[in-house]
Amino acid sequence: MNTTINDKNSQKIVDYIKNFARKNSLFVMAYGTGCGAIEIPPTMTSRYDAERFGIRGAATPRQADVLLITGYLAVKTLKRVIRVYEQMQNPKYVIGFGSCTINGGMYWDSYNTINALDRYIPVDVYINGCMPRPEAVISGFVALQEKIQRGDADNGKKYQENLEWYRNNQKKIIKDWKMPDYNW
Amino acid sequence: MDNELLKEQELLNAITKAYDVKGNVIRKGRVEVFVKKELIPSVLLYVKEQKGYKHLSHVACIDWIEQGEFQLTFNIWSHADKIMLYVKTRIDRENPVMENLDGIWDQLNTYEREFREMFGIEFTGLVGEKEFILEDWDDMPPMRRDFDTVQYSKDHYYFRPGREDAKDVRKTLTDRTGEEIPDYATKYSREK
Repeated sequence: MNTTINDKNSQKIVDYIKNFARKNSLFVMAYGTGCGAIEIPPTMTSRYDAERFGIRGAATPRQADVLLITGYLAVKTLKRVIRVYEQMQNPKYVIGFGSCTINGGMYWDSYNTINALDRYIPVDVYINGCMPRPEAVISGFVALQEKIQRGDADNGKKYQENLEWYRNNQKKIIKDWKMPDYNW
Repeated sequence: MDNELLKEQELLNAITKAYDVKGNVIRKGRVEVFVKKELIPSVLLYVKEQKGYKHLSHVACIDWIEQGEFQLTFNIWSHADKIMLYVKTRIDRENPVMENLDGIWDQLNTYEREFREMFGIEFTGLVGEKEFILEDWDDMPPMRRDFDTVQYSKDHYYFRPGREDAKDVRKTLTDRTGEEIPDYATKYSREK
């Protein structure tokens, strides 16, 4: 045993295996917002069978890797989404699903829905469409898997580092802040 | 034709005879009455207890900003007569106060809480949480027509660049076909 983990090449191999394992077991938080959640059952069940990519549901935030934001977010829902996102363990990924998460979609002028999701929580992959079909959803997941394999999907860390900026944006619309402030 | 509307006419006659209200038969199975604000509880009780109009299926609020009034429409259905009765009343828009009616139908409580939040109508003696759907809302009630929802959205949420060219769909389509847009349609267009 004369190899050390501090060796650069060994670290590369460890990273590769780590990322390979991560990308092939994406546990998706079973939390549907907006109307897009209706596209998840066909994605998960026999016809499109997302489990062949290692994508499956997780019951609680602490067991989940991926937070899927499936559609428009009212301010009220955003509160819950932030809560869920902060309870998830690192590494954690967010997929913005549908045009509502990108620019507000058809609700861009609504008094109660946010327009740009990445101002409040960091987003790894956006899937456009209203609604995206299961093929598009799987394509988005594959894009996320490629990102994980490359090793540049560490938005959980980015969120912790820029917490102040995100908090400012969040508190701008959530006036009555009754949520716990974490110190990871 | 007249024979078909016999039940409707009978109902309208009974209400207009008992109270100082106006109304008309819209068509088969649809009757509307216009009631003053003060008479609303007694008219509702009358049709519920005496005429068998027991099912309150919906209450709607309309903001008539031009007349300076809110209109409340109570849709009441009779299972026996198969008639939908519309009881309509007008409330002053500047000082929207209404009597609490949830003693007549319990489900009115939910409607009244919604109107309190969305239109700012005060129901005297209404019990229930102040917040109904919105959380920590501090602007004017959002369903009022003078509430500028686009401006509110611009002030509070982040506008993502790239959709400035989002044209009026109607205009884009008519430009393509050379069709003329009627005046009433251009009046409400966002492109001024």
